[in-house]
Amino acid sequence: MATEVLWWIFAVLIVAASAGVVFSRSVIHSAIFFIGSLAGVGAMYAFLNVEFLALVQFLIYAGAVTVLILLALMLTRSGATGSPEKTDGPQKPFAIIVCGTLMGILIAVAVHTTWPGNASDKPTGIAIDAISNRLFLDYGAPFIIASALLLVALVGAIILARQEEGE
Amino acid sequence: MVPLSNYLVLSAIIFALGAYGVLARRNAVLILFGVELMLNAVSLNFVAFAAYLDPNRITGAIFAVFVIIVAAAEVALALAIIIRLFRNRATANVDEVATLKW
Amino acid sequence: MGAQQAWLLAAIPAGMFLVLALFGRYLPRKGDFLGVLAIGTSFVLFFFVLHDFLHVGAGNWPITTSIDWSDVGNFHLRQGIYVDPITIVMLGVVTSVGLMVNIFSVGYMRGEARYYWFFAVLQLFVGSMLMLVMADNLLLLYMCWELVGLCSFLLIGFYWEKRSATEAAKKSFITTRIGDVGLLIGIILLWKATGTFNIQDIIHQAQAGHIGHTYLFVSVMCIFLGCMGKSAQVPFHVWLPDAMEGPTPVSALIHAATMVVAGVYLCARLLPLFEIADGALLVVTIVGLVTAVLTGFMALVQTDIKKVLAYSTIGQLGFMFVALGCGRPDVAMFHLMTHAFFKSLLFLGSGSVIHATHHNQEMDKLGGLWKKMPITGTTFLAGCLALAGVIPFAGFWSKDEILHATETWSGGWVFILLSFAAVLTAFYTTRLFIRTFMGEHMDDEVYEHTHESGFTMTFPLIFLGILATVSGFVVWHGVGTALGFPGGITEFIFLHEPERYHFEWALLGASVLIFGIGIFSAAWLYWGNSTEKSTRLAQWNPGLYQLLVHNFYFDDLYQAVIDRGLLGFAFVVAWFDRYVVNDTGIDGSAQATRYSGFIMKYAQSGRVPNYAMGIALGLVGLTIAGLVVRG
Repeated sequence: MATEVLWWIFAVLIVAASAGVVFSRSVIHSAIFFIGSLAGVGAMYAFLNVEFLALVQFLIYAGAVTVLILLALMLTRSGATGSPEKTDGPQKPFAIIVCGTLMGILIAVAVHTTWPGNASDKPTGIAIDAISNRLFLDYGAPFIIASALLLVALVGAIILARQEEGE
Repeated sequence: MVPLSNYLVLSAIIFALGAYGVLARRNAVLILFGVELMLNAVSLNFVAFAAYLDPNRITGAIFAVFVIIVAAAEVALALAIIIRLFRNRATANVDEVATLKW
Repeated sequence: MGAQQAWLLAAIPAGMFLVLALFGRYLPRKGDFLGVLAIGTSFVLFFFVLHDFLHVGAGNWPITTSIDWSDVGNFHLRQGIYVDPITIVMLGVVTSVGLMVNIFSVGYMRGEARYYWFFAVLQLFVGSMLMLVMADNLLLLYMCWELVGLCSFLLIGFYWEKRSATEAAKKSFITTRIGDVGLLIGIILLWKATGTFNIQDIIHQAQAGHIGHTYLFVSVMCIFLGCMGKSAQVPFHVWLPDAMEGPTPVSALIHAATMVVAGVYLCARLLPLFEIADGALLVVTIVGLVTAVLTGFMALVQTDIKKVLAYSTIGQLGFMFVALGCGRPDVAMFHLMTHAFFKSLLFLGSGSVIHATHHNQEMDKLGGLWKKMPITGTTFLAGCLALAGVIPFAGFWSKDEILHATETWSGGWVFILLSFAAVLTAFYTTRLFIRTFMGEHMDDEVYEHTHESGFTMTFPLIFLGILATVSGFVVWHGVGTALGFPGGITEFIFLHEPERYHFEWALLGASVLIFGIGIFSAAWLYWGNSTEKSTRLAQWNPGLYQLLVHNFYFDDLYQAVIDRGLLGFAFVVAWFDRYVVNDTGIDGSAQATRYSGFIMKYAQSGRVPNYAMGIALGLVGLTIAGLVVRG
């Protein structure tokens, strides 16, 4: 019972934070709301008894990724600090319609479908050794490729963002 | 606890909000926020399915791990590009960098 | 060497065509002896075939052999030869006349340009014609039909430096082509109904009643169109007089004895089909009758000796078709054979005259040549008597048989009209002979230079002259059996049963009357080669005379149809091609593409959010569509 209430609180939190991300007029405010959204999703993972993922989410997403984005935000500010720059594009009304439709469809499908198997209230726990078994044994190859991908991305990012001589 | 469909509805809402962010924002970094929100929503969806319907072979959770990995790489590169773009054009506004047109 | 190897008769000249066409230029004497050799070999081999044919006896006829040509899925095609009495007669005629024409050409064409090519095409023609008469299926027959048409075209236009020759060649090809379209349609119709091209199979299926009568009538009439075109029956007759532009040996071989009788041959071959289709035989008879009478009239006023013979040929072909229409292929083939001999004799004789007078063909310039060219004159006389149907020359017997055959048609109208045509024939033949060989000569200079022709030209004349005299006797039973045949020619070839020839005095009387009236009226009119009386006759009814001189205005009619009708239609088609097909279709679709690109380029705004919107829209749209389809 308590967990349920807690769940709803976090759910509202996530939605509010996400709305804040996309509707905020200030870029920095969006970034802060973003952290809130990520943290909320991490909490969701915890509710699903996948603590490992919650940890990963907090560390990498809410931690590293957000910092990276904030860094880039700092570097790409144009004009004097504090002056509001226009953040919303000309497609705003149309986008509201499209995304609203999308949301409506997805919710309708999710609610109306009878999910098979264990669709009861309680999510079963996922042990961490199960995750590690699956990750390193069955999906070992994709894991290694993903790490190679990360390496390439890093190198690429460095090359792209490097300052040339005399720039 | 809560039934599965709750998680699905939640992820749908986050996904839609993220899509709105991609479509209706001008700053490139803000668009990136939208993309990240969408990825998050998708991961949440996968993990919810894995926890409720497939607890033995938790494929969804593994998928979420990979999504996080790839999202991190993608963010790094995207930001590198935006920084480059800013250096060349002194703006991060995507509406102003439309030269590859008819 | 037996009847089953009869195809060699065709293969040897055809092979020699290749040799002469490729190497003729470089051979000594331009290879003319090779041509004579090839056809001579075929002529000799013919006797082997004949001997074998008669030897195996009537129980084994027809003799056939074939090879598997194409075997694809449901379509089986066998090509082969089919040797029966009709084939034997045709083989004999084509090889003998072909050989004589070849020998004649050695003398006649000497010194002409492209000498080797003349002999080459002549070989190809003989080979194709022989294959045509041996073909056992309609497809092979059609191919050879077209080949002989091609050779005719090439040879008519042999003197292609002359505009009139090329025009005549074109005219011959186009006119026969119109008939050939009918032939092709008929062949295809028959194939659709029976599933086979083999002639005997088609006949058996028709006799068993597998083909509807109207359908059979239509297809048989289509095939008859081809016969009419090739054999120059009215209204397709316009090409044959113009074909006289070719060298005279060509006229003798192709346009008298062999190619033009291909239509008669085909009709005789398919006569069982004509019999089953009601009304077909009547059509054939009427066409032949009309042709015989009309061309008899047209020949009366011609002054070019070759043109007279050309119209005469068309008329005699009409006689043959009347015989076929009466259901007597034996009589038709008999007349075909005798006609081949005496008509080619007459053409070669006129060739001899033309050569001797240095290409003077108009009767206005000739006359009194018998003293100067005795051999030519005598053989020409034999040919004329045969053509007029004077007993005991060959033409008498065959023409008599045709008149006898017309009794099939009740009422006697065919007999009367045909007799009238025969009177006309006798008339113009006598006119031709008198004005060329007898009486006073019309032109001194021409007369001075005339001399008898050399041996290469007189030998064929003598050979054919003998044949024109005696070949009619094969109708007698006794003569036939003496030669090894089962009887006279009417017992050798027959449609349903052999019929022994009986001599009838009444018919003899009628025939004597016919040629008597014809010959004596012409002789009286032109006695001593004077044209006084004939000119007065022409002035007595100038309208009629003009009608005849202009060949009943057939050529003018056709020219008007082409000028107004065909060219007008072509104008419409050209307009359609320019404005609809080109401007709208081709240019139009190109312009449409350009314009659509011009409009659609604005989709490339270069702005990423626009593209993202496109993706989102597509996603939503597809999701909705998917849900709607799933229900």
